Amino acid sequence: MKVVVSRSGGIAGLRVTWDVQVDEQPDAAAWMRFLEELPWDEAEDSAPMPDRYVYRIRCAPHEVVLAEPQVHGAWKDLIDRVRAASER
Amino acid sequence: MTGTDQTQSPVPFPGHPHGHSTGQGRSAPAFRCGVVPPYLLEHLAAVEDPRFEAAAEAARRSLRVDDPIRSLRLERRTSALPTLPVQAVPGITTRTISDAGQLQRLPGRTVRTEGQPPVADVAVNEAYTGLGDTHVLYWSQYQRDSIDGHGLPLDATVHYGRDYDNAFWDGERMVFGDGDGEVFNRFTISLSVIAHELTHGVTQYSANLAYQGQSGALNESVSDVFGTLVEQYAAGQDTQSASWLIGAGLFTEQVQGQALRSMKAPGTAYDDDVLGTDPQPASMDGYIETEDDYGGVHLNSGIPNRAFYLVAEALGGNAWEAPGQIWYDTLTGPHLTENADFAAFAQATATAAITRYGVDSAEHGAVLAGWNGVGVVFDPLRAAS
Repeated sequence: MKVVVSRSGGIAGLRVTWDVQVDEQPDAAAWMRFLEELPWDEAEDSAPMPDRYVYRIRCAPHEVVLAEPQVHGAWKDLIDRVRAASER
Repeated sequence: MTGTDQTQSPVPFPGHPHGHSTGQGRSAPAFRCGVVPPYLLEHLAAVEDPRFEAAAEAARRSLRVDDPIRSLRLERRTSALPTLPVQAVPGITTRTISDAGQLQRLPGRTVRTEGQPPVADVAVNEAYTGLGDTHVLYWSQYQRDSIDGHGLPLDATVHYGRDYDNAFWDGERMVFGDGDGEVFNRFTISLSVIAHELTHGVTQYSANLAYQGQSGALNESVSDVFGTLVEQYAAGQDTQSASWLIGAGLFTEQVQGQALRSMKAPGTAYDDDVLGTDPQPASMDGYIETEDDYGGVHLNSGIPNRAFYLVAEALGGNAWEAPGQIWYDTLTGPHLTENADFAAFAQATATAAITRYGVDSAEHGAVLAGWNGVGVVFDPLRAAS
């Protein structure tokens, strides 16, 4: 199972992608539990804000698009984890 | 309300009855605006009393900024000199810079307010000066009094987040990150970036272009246009000598690139192992369909950016004059809807050129040729009607 986070936007307009192969992680079971508990279907559309980041998070069959101000709590935790694992 | 504090208006201001509060939420007069006569600036610049240091420095700076263009401007605008009302003092900035202390919480702690002297923190001073420089262009060239046209205070926050590689306008204030130090320097380092963010506010209070698809790319492009014009005006650069770069100096030395974007040659601003190649298209042939970034608003903005450059190149001289005036008239005029696409915007610029300079004027011709040059097709006859 793969989690892909792509961040677009920002004044630079640079697209950055981080991903993690969950099965290959030493704490794969903890990853799975964490992913299952995310509020995938509860993300709401928000009004665009100039130059802010937009995050697209994919983990089949789920996909969610979050504006930067929506990234907090578990979503922020997820993005931080994927980014850290991706940059290791 | 800080305007009643006499210490913030250390120098008496001949011609202005208000050394302090205007009663409208604005505070002390600044000395950076086109309404201050040169002789007064020279006088202020020569003041050596340490109590007046901030005003003296502001005046010296304004003189430096204005020197190459002041005489030209006075000559050109004989019928449009702003009048000084008795009750209010339009064109006076009220800047407040806050420090988020590397947290992502706004507004942060207030660290410099209008009229206060420079502090030790360079990001604070860059934001303060950059907001002033941006205001000077809008006020002196287009008689726009701040973001809303009515002297809205200019608020900015620096040191937002940790290693934060971005700057943005949140609907109320400008926010600047420090960068990560590896790819990006601090975002206040570039005047065009500061002016870009402030212009998002101007757009919000005028055409309010929807931040999605082509209208979103136009919103971005307008911020780049006035971003570069503020930089050119502050540096006294004409179209030929200007770089037409957005965000020059923002990349660290480790990056193979000059800036975030090039308005003159979209797609050439950087070519780096890590960042890749600048993906901006320079004409409709390269228009990018994407779901990212609200439909690629920071990518497709390259097309209207280059159209503006072509107009400026055709007319020569200072881009903040006729080209900037036409774009400003378009942004604030009656012909633009929030969901305007490139063709509708192009048509509105042609209408604005006709209104101000006449049908078949050089300006009108340059606008038509500019859009033609980037492959934006519209009906010039409708624009003329």
